[in-house]
Amino acid sequence: MANPLLEAPSKSSPETAIDLSQQASTFITSQSSWLSAIPYPLSLFINTESQEKWQTYENLFLACLRTGDDNTAYACLESLTDRFGKGNDRVVALQGLYKEATAKNESELAEVLREYEEMLKSDPTIFSIRKRRAAVLRSMGKTSDAVTALTNLLDQSPTDAEAWSELGDLYLTQGSYDQAIFSFEEVLLIMPYSWNMQARLGEVLYLASGRTEGGDQMKILSESMRRFCRSLELCDDYLRGHYGLKLVTTRLLEVLSTSKKPQQSSSDPVRGDLAPPSVDAVKKLNELATSKLAEIVRRSNSGEKGWDGYSAAEIIAARELLDRDTQKIER
Amino acid sequence: MAVGATAINILGFVFLSHAVYSAYEHSLLPSASQPTPPSRLLPSFLDPRVNLPLDITLETLFSVLLLCVGVVLSSPELKPIQWNVWAGRLERSKEARATKEVGVGGGNPFAGVEERPGFLDIRGQRKEFARWVREGER
Repeated sequence: MANPLLEAPSKSSPETAIDLSQQASTFITSQSSWLSAIPYPLSLFINTESQEKWQTYENLFLACLRTGDDNTAYACLESLTDRFGKGNDRVVALQGLYKEATAKNESELAEVLREYEEMLKSDPTIFSIRKRRAAVLRSMGKTSDAVTALTNLLDQSPTDAEAWSELGDLYLTQGSYDQAIFSFEEVLLIMPYSWNMQARLGEVLYLASGRTEGGDQMKILSESMRRFCRSLELCDDYLRGHYGLKLVTTRLLEVLSTSKKPQQSSSDPVRGDLAPPSVDAVKKLNELATSKLAEIVRRSNSGEKGWDGYSAAEIIAARELLDRDTQKIER
Repeated sequence: MAVGATAINILGFVFLSHAVYSAYEHSLLPSASQPTPPSRLLPSFLDPRVNLPLDITLETLFSVLLLCVGVVLSSPELKPIQWNVWAGRLERSKEARATKEVGVGGGNPFAGVEERPGFLDIRGQRKEFARWVREGER
């Protein structure tokens, strides 16, 4: 039995967020029954604790904060603080989140930031607060300060994949592709099997290839193609991977057909450079990606059992990509 | 398939019960207490020294065979043990990635690296939500 209250609401659509926040008041009243009012020795016989309960509180807190229902969010926060104490790292971060969300203007937000810095002065090891501080700096538009905060954090905790990923994203918004690629490669060193991050690195490489020319561009494009291939190796029928593979092989075929001669000399296996892929291999991969995309779109649209998990927007995008292809052939 | 497997299980159970009951009834017969001739096939320490009729032995073996087949057929579907098959199912089907309890289900375990809940931009999300509401009202 799936429980929607346990799904993390961070990236969900506004519809699910509002659904979740509407369930909040009923959930909170269902938790405060007469059972929790039983005095101490007797209360040992009744178990009202579960991981699910507190996860639900946190999810409801985030959903209510997002939908602007600050009173319910505060009630959830109070329960979490009562249960885990004021000093708990996670609770401290949630309290900061509440203050950030309810700050009315820039000066109040700056006040929150100053509080974070005070906290970090007394105890610099609260990583949740250091992350919050970087996030606030980013949302205030102080990107270079956010980058410094993140690099400091990563100096002390270099295996934090989430922070590497945030740093890569930050560099990407700045247009510093080389640094972004480096950060995402660090993520992959920590989590080599994450198929979404493999595809993410492939996408960043594809973006970066637009800035370069000639042999360098070919090298970056083939690297991007290899990343997408790896993500598909880790995950069958990965729509995002197939989409990227199709885009990158189409581009790579154009580059390979315009370049005069294959640059075999640029490959150096000792340094980890691989030779550019042959035209035949790229063509085959392109055909494979096209047929797979068509299959996914077809089966998902026909509502086949077990094929309902793709997001509707992604399916539409894939269909548009395929349509663009057929139009080109018709012309 | 499930109906057939249950039928095989029930049939096997009936045969097994019948065989056991027959063996018990047979042991009550006066002829059962007579000494048995030593077995020619088995060594003496494995010889059970009972003279059970052949049809009861065959019925027992048959019912156990039926039960074995039935139990295997009625077992639940195997879970994927290959990484790419497992991951592909999470991407493909909503049911496979539903969260059942904390730590069970929930889809791609690496999604958090990309969503980054620790760096949640709550102010941006609130603005986005307010815009969505305003567009809905229009």
